[in-house]
Formats: sequence, C-alpha cells, structure tokens
Amino acid sequence: MNLLAFFFILTSLVTFVAGQLFLKRAMESTARADFARPRFISLLTAGIFAMTISFFLTLGLLQRFDLSYLYPFQGLSVIIISLSAAIVLREKLTMQLTIGALLISAGIVLVSLS
Amino acid sequence: MQTKPSGFRSPWLQLALSVVCVLVSELLLKLGASATANPTSSWSWTGINSLVSPLVWWGILLVIASFLSWLYVLKYIPLTIAFPLSRVVDVLVPLSCWIFLGEAISMRRWCGIALVVVGLAVVAKPVARLEERL
Repeated sequence: MNLLAFFFILTSLVTFVAGQLFLKRAMESTARADFARPRFISLLTAGIFAMTISFFLTLGLLQRFDLSYLYPFQGLSVIIISLSAAIVLREKLTMQLTIGALLISAGIVLVSLS
Repeated sequence: MQTKPSGFRSPWLQLALSVVCVLVSELLLKLGASATANPTSSWSWTGINSLVSPLVWWGILLVIASFLSWLYVLKYIPLTIAFPLSRVVDVLVPLSCWIFLGEAISMRRWCGIALVVVGLAVVAKPVARLEERL
C-alpha cells in the first residue's frame, strides 16, 4: 500500500467519523424541547456532506483493493467513534463499552492485516 | 434513554435492517466497482467512473435505505452502543466475501473475526440487561 492510498483511506475515515457525529447531533435535536429546524437542517447537511465525501473515496479505493482487505480499515472507526461520542457528545462510556469497542476495533484491524 | 417504540419501529430492529442493507450494498458496490475499474485514469481515485455500473446504483439505493434506518437508530440509541453493534457487519462482510465472491479468509482473519464477535458480545451484554429492566 503506497502513501497515496494511505492518505485516501485516512481521509475517508476522518470524514466518516465527523459525519456520524453531525448526524447524531442532528437526530438528537429532534427529540429536544427546544427543537430548531434550521439547526437540524444544517447539522444533517453537514453530516450527509461528510458521509458523501467518505463514500466516493471508498468507491475509488474499492477499484484498487479487495473488499475484504479494504473495508475493515473502517474498523478503527469503532474505537474512534466511541471516544469522540464520549468527548464531543458527552455520552456515557462505561469500561465495558470501551473494552467491547477496543475488541471490535482490534478484531477488524486483525482482519484487515491478513 | 427515552422510551423506545416497539415492533417495526423498534430502533433495534431498524439497526438490524440497517446492517443487512449495508452488507448487501457492500457486495454490490464491490462487484460494480471491480467491473468498471480503470486505474490509469487520474480521476479514478474519486470513484466517479463506477457510476456507469447498474450494480453500483443498486448499492447506492441500499446505502440510502440503511442510512434512513440508521438516522432513526441515532434518535434513540447512544452512538457508543449503536455504532459498535453496527459493526457486526465487519464479521458478515468477510464471511459473505468468502461465500459469494470467492475471496480467501486466512487463519489470522478468522482470529480477527472471532475477536469482533467477542467484542460485540461485550457491548451487547449490558444493553440486554438494560432493555430487560425497561
């Protein structure tokens, strides 16, 4: 795997995580008493925009690598998303959930290395 | 956590639906992208030229379906729980690649798949207890 491929894999990962956080914020806001439509729309748009970039980068990568090799890189997103949901969204991250997320990430990375 | 709807509107069922849609879409996208691969074009890193494949469009349709289910899931389930659980797809994708696309699974990859399954169980266990109490 060359540096360019690594760059595109990393970018697709970062945009994916950012997208999930935006979308979670957007959907959470629909359940709140002070629901504001403009805020919801802009969060949803930001989320969809980030996910779209991630999607097309992934398509480009799929043209070059086996799916079973490439796809699991997104596995790193499990622990990254759990941590950023705890930090950015202030979600409760218990020890058990952290261990679970780490195991899943480690497992997916192991899959991607073989 | 707020009270969750049951039946078809249960966020857990929607999470499962979302996972199935992602799984099928990944297989279709791989088939479509491979069929249209043209690595010599400098634009091909964007994946845009995959759009001539109908399989890719079916894949996109399923991606949208899974996305809608996922949005619904996000409304009710915290990301720290929903997202790890959604990665059951990372077990299902290699298994399906093995079964349907004829891609090989090495010993190390089997170990990785087993690790993911254990991780999923660790995340799912406190959730199951939580749901029982509700």
